[in-house]
Amino acid sequence: MKGDLKHFGPTRLLNLVSLAKKTGTLSISRRGRGEKADLSFQDGKLVFISMNDADGSLVSVLQKVGKINKKQGDSLAAHAKKHGDKQLGLLLIQKGYVSRSDIVKAIKRHALSSINEFAKWQDGSFSFDQGVLPGEDRILVPLDLENIIIQIVRMQKRDEQLLETIPSLDVGLRYTDRSKSQKPDLKLSKEEWSVLRLVKRDNTLRMIAKSLEMDEMQIRRVVDSLREAGLVELISMNTPASRKLTAEEASSKRTLVKRLIETIQGL
Amino acid sequence: MQPQTVKMVITGPYSAGKTSFVQTISEIDVVSTERKITTEAERIKDQTTVAMDFGRITVDRDLVLYLFGTPGQRRFDFMWQILAQGMLGFVVLVDSARPETFREATKILEQFRAYADTPYVVAANKQDLPDAWQLDDLRIALRLDENVKLLPCVSTQKESVKNVLLELLYAILEEMDMQQQE
Repeated sequence: MKGDLKHFGPTRLLNLVSLAKKTGTLSISRRGRGEKADLSFQDGKLVFISMNDADGSLVSVLQKVGKINKKQGDSLAAHAKKHGDKQLGLLLIQKGYVSRSDIVKAIKRHALSSINEFAKWQDGSFSFDQGVLPGEDRILVPLDLENIIIQIVRMQKRDEQLLETIPSLDVGLRYTDRSKSQKPDLKLSKEEWSVLRLVKRDNTLRMIAKSLEMDEMQIRRVVDSLREAGLVELISMNTPASRKLTAEEASSKRTLVKRLIETIQGL
Repeated sequence: MQPQTVKMVITGPYSAGKTSFVQTISEIDVVSTERKITTEAERIKDQTTVAMDFGRITVDRDLVLYLFGTPGQRRFDFMWQILAQGMLGFVVLVDSARPETFREATKILEQFRAYADTPYVVAANKQDLPDAWQLDDLRIALRLDENVKLLPCVSTQKESVKNVLLELLYAILEEMDMQQQE
């Protein structure tokens, strides 16, 4: 099974593997971007995923969730290379550094975040190698794909709505009048506070995202939640500011508006 | 000599009552560009505006007010900016009994505010319907600031439409007063 994500997207591909209860490894390569991923399945369940630098090894996933630090990770990696992840896992459990549940949770977390990332890929050549699985030494944790796919589709729908709500990042933000009377104990996430701090007349969403190292959808999500809370509103950077009228123009406009008022009152 | 013309724009989501708003107050038969609805999902009514509704109120030989109703469906939104150019102010009409359109109304309001920094009012239409939301609730749902005028409206009743237009004109005067004080 070979193809390109441009024609057969990630969710459809995952759905196919799940429904057909396939066993094997799906390899995806995005040559132009230098990205790659290997997703292994057993009877349609995701059992292992390595993606770019996140190779799915025990050391990397434990490090990612903060169970071990970089220094510990470096020394354990040598052990894992020699004896494999399964042996290393047993050793860590025996020594009381982590529990079995910690390991499973860390692997699942890595798999979920990687697959969510993979779901965003809109191009890349793929091939499915039937029956090929990671080496014996790897720890395989089976994950049902159905719920993951539903979650991904839900996220994609939300993203589509976000794109409709905030089509361009070349717009600015301003505080609403209501935000000025908000209670000071407002509970916002770290990202939301960071964005709020950068609300200034000349800052576009694109500039804020760049400054906070957020991707285009992340900034949209944060801004949308701030808008939903009534704290900020979007402003066009091209909105022509109303020109202050001269005294003569103002007087003429005032007369005109009053004539309109009289006419409508008399209708 | 040609009379001076000014325009106001009546906007809002699909089926908010923009065409009937313009029809109710216009002294001429409204020049409407309604077409039969082709999409089943949008079949709340039989016809929809595809370009604009055009109404007129003559003040005297020297001054004429034009009322432009925008098309409500998103696929005709390229017309919005054209209609917004040079407007004196705008009315955002919302169907008070269809909460599913409130989000769209907020988006349209933001969009029009981006086109021009002119005064506006929000009219809560169809207040005569039993399911109509109360103004206080609508203000929260539409995320309107306290200083934005939110007015009850029944777009088929002349007095109601007059009130909305008058409030917009008062808002224009108030804004001018504020600008003069700055």
